[in-house]
Amino acid sequence: MPTTPSQSRTGRFVAAVGVYAPLLRLERAAAGKALKFSGLGGRPSGRRAVAGWDEDALTLAVEAARGLPRPQAVIFASTSAPFIERSQATLLVDALALDPAVRTGDVAGSRRCAVSALRDALLGNGDTLIAAGEKRPATAGSSQHLSDGDGGAAAFVSDRGAAELLGYASLSHDLVDIYASRERPQSYAYEERFVRDTAIGKVIAPTIRAACAAAGVAPSEIARAAVHEPLAGCWREISRLTGVTAPNVAADLAQAVGDLGAAHALFAFAVACAGAREGDLVLLAGFGSGCDAMVFRLTGEMPGAREAAAQLSKGVAFDDYMRFLSLTGAVQLDWGVRSELEQKAQATVLERYGRDMIGFVGGRDAEGNIQFPKSRVPVRPDAAAPEQFEDVRLADCTARIVSVTADRLNFTPDPPFWFGLVQFDNGARVMMEFTDGDGRGFSVGDAVRPLLRIKSRDARRGFRTYFWKAAPADRPSIER
Amino acid sequence: MATGIKDKVAVIGMGCTSFGEHWNKGPEDLMVDAFVEAIADAGIEKSQIEAAWMGNALDDINVGNSALPLAHALRLRGIPVSRVENMCATGSEALRAASYAVAAGAVDIALAVGVEKLKDTGYGGLPLRTKGLANDLWMPYGSAPGSFAQLAGAYAARHGIDKSDLKRAMAHVSWKSHQNAALNPKAHLRKAVDVETILKAPMIADPLGLFDCCGVSDGAACAIVTTPDIAKGLGIANPVTVKAIQLCASHGWELQYGEWDGSYVANTRQAAKRAYAEAGVEAPRRDLSVTEVHDCFSITELVTMEDLNLSDEGRAPFDILDGRFDRAGAQPCQIDGGLKCFGHPVGASGLRMAYEVYTQLLGRAGDRQRGTVDLGLVHNLGGAPFNSIAAVSILGRLH
Repeated sequence: MPTTPSQSRTGRFVAAVGVYAPLLRLERAAAGKALKFSGLGGRPSGRRAVAGWDEDALTLAVEAARGLPRPQAVIFASTSAPFIERSQATLLVDALALDPAVRTGDVAGSRRCAVSALRDALLGNGDTLIAAGEKRPATAGSSQHLSDGDGGAAAFVSDRGAAELLGYASLSHDLVDIYASRERPQSYAYEERFVRDTAIGKVIAPTIRAACAAAGVAPSEIARAAVHEPLAGCWREISRLTGVTAPNVAADLAQAVGDLGAAHALFAFAVACAGAREGDLVLLAGFGSGCDAMVFRLTGEMPGAREAAAQLSKGVAFDDYMRFLSLTGAVQLDWGVRSELEQKAQATVLERYGRDMIGFVGGRDAEGNIQFPKSRVPVRPDAAAPEQFEDVRLADCTARIVSVTADRLNFTPDPPFWFGLVQFDNGARVMMEFTDGDGRGFSVGDAVRPLLRIKSRDARRGFRTYFWKAAPADRPSIER
Repeated sequence: MATGIKDKVAVIGMGCTSFGEHWNKGPEDLMVDAFVEAIADAGIEKSQIEAAWMGNALDDINVGNSALPLAHALRLRGIPVSRVENMCATGSEALRAASYAVAAGAVDIALAVGVEKLKDTGYGGLPLRTKGLANDLWMPYGSAPGSFAQLAGAYAARHGIDKSDLKRAMAHVSWKSHQNAALNPKAHLRKAVDVETILKAPMIADPLGLFDCCGVSDGAACAIVTTPDIAKGLGIANPVTVKAIQLCASHGWELQYGEWDGSYVANTRQAAKRAYAEAGVEAPRRDLSVTEVHDCFSITELVTMEDLNLSDEGRAPFDILDGRFDRAGAQPCQIDGGLKCFGHPVGASGLRMAYEVYTQLLGRAGDRQRGTVDLGLVHNLGGAPFNSIAAVSILGRLH
């Protein structure tokens, strides 16, 4: 049975939320059509968010967390973190240009890890950021390849805020519905009927019931639910067994962008908060090797929730299954001799410049001119000698395109290679790669915003570096 | 007070290989071929050369590091031999170094060689290299066409010109080079191509299509320089002399300081201004008989016409379409086919351009000779518009 600590108010809150869904959304039906010959894929519906080649669990988490307040502790959560030995939480601190004195930690182990970390932050003290990102590898033809999605979600925990934790319950249960391992990084799934019956009856429903009891609320009082389903279509049975009759935002989310793994429940919670009113009870439940369920009462509008819901109506749908296979790494195309370029990054160089790069930190010289990167002698034409620079972060600054091209000669895993000169409104000017140009491209004068992306991927040594790329300031609308 | 280099250095011999895909020649063969032509032209002995400079841009992938490849290839015994490199402006750097040595009185006769063996790299274009340096952490790995293509959009935005009109002017630039190269036995691409074919070619980097891009070639070119007095002693009454060699390098202004609009090459303007002053050229459109400019891409030649003050601001597309820079036009440019069709072995190109101007000055250009030529200009551009090294040289006869 799940643990059921008895408390109805905790004085700990989720104070803000943030989410990030990649621009591209695969029409699952197109994948089903491409796979028709094989009998695989079924008759899938909805869309799946597909990260660009230059996105990973870290960049997705960073984008989700960018709008949140500055924390005292940072937890990064993912089952698809790019590094095993190199803390993503530490990189996240640098990417957000946070005080390096913050406490950091990385959690993994199951897709429940972000919800577990949120629970612990709520039971602990201090302002804590939980940032989850997921870009899970899957084999072509597997149901996970289409049902999964890529994305990020974040929550900020504090002693005051918009959603107070009323009660929770946790259950540890090694139900092997899916697994991934060092030997097999792609998810391996067991029989769905077994998973559905066992997960619902032995894991999820009892934990939700226990959480409601701990919170001192009746399940029927829950206004909005964000319950991570092990498989699509479980909510009706969970609802029947628990008495929670509210709609499950997490189920709709899986249909719109896919199962986001560690980010899923947090993302769904953010969207659930957008649709809730003050006083509403919101249920959050994470699943995977057990279950964590929490009941919150909304005490006001949740910062970031409205923007989270709006993200679902922005994006670009595509139906190119081959491109999807390539973007998700399910096929390895031979990109020719140009892809053989040496991309080794040097640790010494990263130590000197890495933090300014991942944090997009330029400098203001003695006369007030802002430049990137910093230099001993400023670029200002009348500068004659070395000057002291004051750090200026460019990541959140608005900018416009001075010059641009779609380079079809240069290697990129998702042609064309857009790049050009970007003029920031604060005076800084940077030659940048562009990203997320699908459906519109880039032109001189366009407004752009920086997004954290993978700069280089050293496949030979399994290393990657990060930098910021210029994306269109707005995203096109996508039909729901 | 500096007096400049005008008429202090005479060019007494030049050589240039054909440019192209020399599958059967290595860099040694190319350097030797160019040198054999040059020394025969100069009428001197190899032992009279007192110093040499080798220009080679992509050292680690074709010819090799240092100046030793040149010293070995030509068996230059007991003299200083140095390698210079300034990206695509490397050939001009070699000529500048040799000329300065003579002008300074350090040596009587000096040699400048430019060479590149690109077709051993396995690439259709220039290979990309990164070395784990700080810039690799943020600078885009753009290709050469990608870097220069950005001139087009910025130029169109600045001058309010329709992109399709600009594209047609760019196509005329390439059409002209193909026409000219058809007459040049040493050119890489000698086939005339019609404008429609150019316009419809596959896109390389928007808006540059295949025919907007120069050839990637193997080749070498060289020059032997001395003082005008020694030249006269060798029986050359009015030798070709260096009127100006100026160079200007970016210091980050275009990339990092918010003034440049991306539509022109600031260093070309700087270098040209100084070169005109050094050579005493007051009206370039009147005084320059021929020009060889760095047409790595059609849009580069287009903006260079304005940067060199051969067209008014915003008028280059119209001057180009009017035929002003055609072989028979008022201000012929790239009579030899240019980088576009003569080819672009990076380190050799600056000297190849000087070779054509030298050939025209001496009236040796055969079918493509532009009558009597008094003064010619060489514009050699390294890097990219946003981070460039521009070299402008002027050659003429000593009167």
